[in-house]
Amino acid sequence: MVDGKQSISFRERIQGFTRNQTALLVLVLLILIVVFTSLSGGTFLSTSVGSTILTDWGAYILLAVAETLVVISGGIDLSVGATLSLSTVTAGWVLVNGLHLTSKTTGVDAWPALALAALVAVLTGLLVGAVNSVLINILKIVPFIATLATFGAAAGMAIIISGGMPLQGPTDFSLINPLRIPGLDPKVFDTGLFSPLVILMALVTLVVGLFLHKARFGLYTYAIGSNVFAARAAGISIARHTTKIYLVGGALSGLAGFYAYVRLGGGSPTSGTGMELYAIAATVIGGASLMGGIGRMWGTVIGTLILITVQSGLLMIGVATDWKQIVVAVLIAGAVAVQTLQKKNGVR
Amino acid sequence: MAEPLIRLQQVTKSFGPVDVLKGVDFEAYAGKVTALVGDNGAGKSTLIKGLSGVQPYDGGVVSFEGREVHLTNPRQASSLGIEVVYQDLALCENLDIVQNMFLGREELKQGTLDEAAMEFSAIKALQSLSVRTVKSVRQKVSSLSGGQRQTVAIGRTVLRNAKLVILDEPTAALGVAQTEQVLNLVRRLADNGLGVIIISHNLADVFQVCDYISVLYLGNMVARLETVKTTRDEVVAYITGTKVLEGVNE
Repeated sequence: MVDGKQSISFRERIQGFTRNQTALLVLVLLILIVVFTSLSGGTFLSTSVGSTILTDWGAYILLAVAETLVVISGGIDLSVGATLSLSTVTAGWVLVNGLHLTSKTTGVDAWPALALAALVAVLTGLLVGAVNSVLINILKIVPFIATLATFGAAAGMAIIISGGMPLQGPTDFSLINPLRIPGLDPKVFDTGLFSPLVILMALVTLVVGLFLHKARFGLYTYAIGSNVFAARAAGISIARHTTKIYLVGGALSGLAGFYAYVRLGGGSPTSGTGMELYAIAATVIGGASLMGGIGRMWGTVIGTLILITVQSGLLMIGVATDWKQIVVAVLIAGAVAVQTLQKKNGVR
Repeated sequence: MAEPLIRLQQVTKSFGPVDVLKGVDFEAYAGKVTALVGDNGAGKSTLIKGLSGVQPYDGGVVSFEGREVHLTNPRQASSLGIEVVYQDLALCENLDIVQNMFLGREELKQGTLDEAAMEFSAIKALQSLSVRTVKSVRQKVSSLSGGQRQTVAIGRTVLRNAKLVILDEPTAALGVAQTEQVLNLVRRLADNGLGVIIISHNLADVFQVCDYISVLYLGNMVARLETVKTTRDEVVAYITGTKVLEGVNE
């Protein structure tokens, strides 16, 4: 019977919960926090650890958001980390070599320079996104190879422009430090979890999430990732929409470059090295399918948190940092295995 | 007889040295189901791709509702009211029924998708076809059977206010009961006043649901028959070329 109302039985509710990737992910995250808290003797739950985790989250989330859009559309973007490196370096280059500013400019005095840095970084990201979409839509190179090429080119250019050394310039570290509301005693009301920039990154994520789930942009992204022929038959311009996706992805990676700049007080050519792996990992852990058409922004947000929590947690309980890559690898493999099993059992 | 909804006169199409359509006449009427039959390579798909605007004809005259039109791209054909339901259905598995039915022409409210309005229209369109087999319009297409998918694809043409619906092998992959359902659906489309063209290899289906049968043979329209005045043997003879020319063409 065609009916708008949907009656849901208890059994369907239970199935719904196990199918609900987001709920499962939150559960995994909570378990991880409990485990690490008990293993670290309670210090894991302190606000200083919390704010460190969120600061790291701010560094990774925009790349993961960019990756999520691309992956849902059925592509992959290997260039997000290198784009971050390149854009943080170009921002540094403009401030240090172009305007001859030094790291002596700090605090509010640095804000005009930082605004320019943000602009330069985002424009650089857009440029890489544009190159990606030209390679993919005009030269018809598959996304994996196209973005592998821009990955190499951007990483190389980041080193050439910076001369291989971080370009130290003006910054305002209060943007990256935990926000404290003046007049409140931090021992009573500890607001020290979120820095202004982390809040900005969260807002950007929210906006992109709304575009993905509530607007035409998102619907077309899912449609193309689901069945590119059907999308074309429905009158969607595939080239135009994938161009938008790679441009947005580039801009987000550029903004992440700005974040890295503020955090380090300069543009380092290695800021984004290896971060594409984390972006892809967070996206996949968050439930997106590399086959396209499946994925949620909430999943990616929590997937990123899980990754960072595991990293910080391992560090706190004394596991060597070298292990962290292996743990990430295991998490990716595990997430994909779970997806495959669910698909086999008819869960979508 | 009334003015045909669509009329093709002497349309041609070649691919390099190969003439696939050698001056074909064809017509379909509102409220009637016209079958387009012919063996593999007869030019059925090429004829349809020209109608849908995917692959424009090289020559000839196309009239829609009495006016001459030039079908050069799918969007334009669609804006005239010509919709094609392809054999592979062209649905997005990971999207639900409503999303699929509205894909490419979503309704927006303040910049966001107007889900409630689209859901309402989708339900109405399916009800106009007396569809009872779909449990919820928010199901993903991946969870639907072949017949249900066909239903969604046909329902989409109703939503788009199609005047002419072209179905490419609508029952090819379906079981007996589902075939019956889809054929009923096709009949209802015509009863609602739409022109319907069906491409089919299955003569049982053709004789059950079609008013007219047009036969293509190697790029020529060799017969245009009224279903009630012909027999299956005669149609087969035209398809295989053992019987030719009834003054319809060539």
